[in-house]
Amino acid sequence: MSQNETKRKVAFPMIAHYNPAVKYLIEQGLGQIYVMQPAMTRRTMALGEKLAPDMVCTPFKTILGSMIEALEAGADTLIMTMGYCRLGYYGELAESILREQGYTFDYVNFAEYTTGRPKDYLKALKAITPHPRPPKVLKALKEALDMVQHIDDIECQYYMNCGFETEKGSFKAALNRFFKAMTSAKSRKDIDRGYRACLNAFETLPVKKPEPVLKVGLIGEYFTVMDAFSNLDLEQALADMGVEVHRWMNVSHRNLDYPGEKNLHVRIKDYCRYEMGPTSTANIWKAKKYAEDGFDGIIHVKSAGCTPEIEIMPVLRRISEDYKIPVLFLTYDTETATAGLMTRLEAFYDMIAMRRKVIL
Amino acid sequence: MKKEAYLGVDVGSISTKGVIMDGDKNLLASAYIWTEGDPIGAVKRLIEKLGAQFDRNAWQVVATGTTGSARKLVGAMLGATVVKNEITAHAVGTTAYHPDVRTILEIGGQDSKIILLENGIAIDYAMNTLCAAGTGAFLSSQSRRLGIPVEDMGAVALKSAHPTHIAARCTVFAESDLVHKIQMGHTKEDIVAGLCEAVVGNYLNNVGKGKRIQEPIVFQGGVSKNIGVVKAFERALGAPVIVDENGHLMGAIGAAILAKHHDARKVFDFGIENVAFKTREVICGQCPNRCEIICVYRDGKLIDNWGNRCEKGDITARQAKHA
Repeated sequence: MSQNETKRKVAFPMIAHYNPAVKYLIEQGLGQIYVMQPAMTRRTMALGEKLAPDMVCTPFKTILGSMIEALEAGADTLIMTMGYCRLGYYGELAESILREQGYTFDYVNFAEYTTGRPKDYLKALKAITPHPRPPKVLKALKEALDMVQHIDDIECQYYMNCGFETEKGSFKAALNRFFKAMTSAKSRKDIDRGYRACLNAFETLPVKKPEPVLKVGLIGEYFTVMDAFSNLDLEQALADMGVEVHRWMNVSHRNLDYPGEKNLHVRIKDYCRYEMGPTSTANIWKAKKYAEDGFDGIIHVKSAGCTPEIEIMPVLRRISEDYKIPVLFLTYDTETATAGLMTRLEAFYDMIAMRRKVIL
Repeated sequence: MKKEAYLGVDVGSISTKGVIMDGDKNLLASAYIWTEGDPIGAVKRLIEKLGAQFDRNAWQVVATGTTGSARKLVGAMLGATVVKNEITAHAVGTTAYHPDVRTILEIGGQDSKIILLENGIAIDYAMNTLCAAGTGAFLSSQSRRLGIPVEDMGAVALKSAHPTHIAARCTVFAESDLVHKIQMGHTKEDIVAGLCEAVVGNYLNNVGKGKRIQEPIVFQGGVSKNIGVVKAFERALGAPVIVDENGHLMGAIGAAILAKHHDARKVFDFGIENVAFKTREVICGQCPNRCEIICVYRDGKLIDNWGNRCEKGDITARQAKHA
C-alpha cells in the first residue's frame, strides 16, 4: 500500500447532527480527509431551491444545497445515502443536477451498492479508498455507530430537560461542548470521554421540573423531524415553553435497534394492515405508544409532499379520537418565517396546559 | 377609587378590533376598523375610538391583552401584559359567552381555523396552511370583480334559488371557474351564492377535514357577517349555526379576558396618540442565515426586537454591552 497516494476530500450532506460520526469513519477508518461544510442556513436552502425541481420534497433541496456548500468548501468526493422512499432516487438526481452545473467530483451513491450482497458493500468502500483494511474499517465503523447512539442519547436527554434549566443556556453550552468533542474525536477514548462529560453535565446541571410535567411526543418524516434547521427548531421552541419533548425517531432507533416491521405491525394491527412507507409503521406505533403512556399531545412533522407521511394522517386522527389526545399536524416547505409556526405551537401549548389543569 | 377595566386588542391582516371590558364580561367600549396594511396607525386610531367611548374618570385600564397576527408589534406598542395567539384568544372569548360550545368555526381575512371544545376547554384545533381560498380575502377580491360590495354579498346570495357550482379547491381555480360561469350567463345572485358555498366547501375540506363537528356550533370572524355563508354552513352541516352579535370582536374579548386572568398589571393611560412608533428591519450579517430582525422604536428608543434566531444577532445583549 502506497503512503504517497493523495487523500480524497470526502463530504456528506449535513443531516441533523450526525456528520461527526461520518467524519470519524472517513478519517479513522478509511484514512481520507473529511470536509465539514457549514451548518445549514437560508443560503443552503436558497442554493438547493434554485436548482431542484419545484415539486420535490424539501429535504432534497436542503441536501442539494448542502452538497454545493461542501464542494465550495473543497470536497472532491461526495457520499450520498440510500433510502426507502423517493430518497432512494435522490442520490442519482442530485448527481445529475450538480454535473449539469459544471461541478467536478467523484460520487459514491450508496443506493447503488446497498443490494444486500457483501461484495457490493466492499465495492462502495473501494470507491472511497482503494485499499481498505477491513479490520480497521470495521473497528472505526463500530465506533462511529456507537457515536451515533451517543448523539441520539444526548439529544433525547437534552430536549427532555433543557426547558427546565434554572441557569439559562447551561444545557445548550453542555450540548455544544459535546458536539465539539464528537467532531474532533480521534479514538474511542475521545468519544467516550466527550459522552460521559456531557452525561455528567446533564445530571448535575440544576433543573426545576413541575410535577406532573407536560409531555409532547414528536413523530413524522425521517429528515424533517430530526433536523432542527428544517423544522425551524421546533423541539427547542417547545422546550422553551416548558415542555418535556420526546422524539423516538432517530438513526439509533430506526436503523440500529429497529424492532422490525413485523414486530411493530402486531402492535398496531387495530389501526393498519399494510406497510405504508419507510417510517409509517414506526410513527403509527409510536403515536399509539405516546397516547397509551399518557402524553399530553403529539406533533406530526413532515415536509410538503411527503406521501408516506400524508397517508398515515387519517390513522393518526383515529388514534387521536380513540385516546383523546390532541395531534398537531405541521407541514414544512421552504419558508423560513416562524410566525405561523409559533402561533400554532403557542395555541397547542395553551390547549394542552389548560386540559391538564382541568383533568387534575 | 376607579374601577378596574381590561383592554383587549386583536390586530388581523384585514381588520383591527378592540374592546374595553369590566370584570363581569360587559363591554364598556368596542371598535372595529380596517388595518389597511398599517397596524401601528390602525391601533392608534382604534385607541382613540375606544378612549372616546369610555369614562376615564370612573374606570381605569389595569391590564392589556393583544392577539392577532400583529400581536407582538402591538403588544410592544401598548405595553401589553399578555400577548396571546388568536386561537387561544378566540376559544377563551367564545366560551365566556357560550360556555357549552363544542365547535368554533372562524373565518378571518387571511386565515381560517376550527376549534373543537369539550367542557369549555379546547381539545383540538386546525388552521389553514398554504391556501387562502376559504377566507375573507377571497370573498373580497371576488366582490370587486362582481361589483358587489362585500357587505352586501350575503343578502344577494339569499336571493338565489340555484347556487352556481364553483370549483373551490384553490383561489386560482375558483377564479377561472367563476369568470367562465359569468360568461356563460349565470346570474349574479347564483354566482354569489355559489361563492358562499365554495368558501364553506373549501373550509370543510381543508381546515375541517377529519374533525368531528358537534353542536352547538358558533361561527365567527369577519366572514360570519355574511349571511350567505352562514346559511351555506347550515346546509352543509345540517345543524344550526350560531353567530354572536359580537362574533367579530371575539379575539379582542378573549385577549381582554386573558389579561384579566393573568397576574401582570400595568395601567394603560391612552397616551399613545402623540408617541412616534417606528419599526425597522435589520438583516443580521453575522452568518449566511441572514435573520431579518424587526426592531421597534418608541420615540426613537428601541423597545423591542424579534426575528433573530441565535445569540450572534442578539441586539439587546449587544446594546447592553455597549451601554
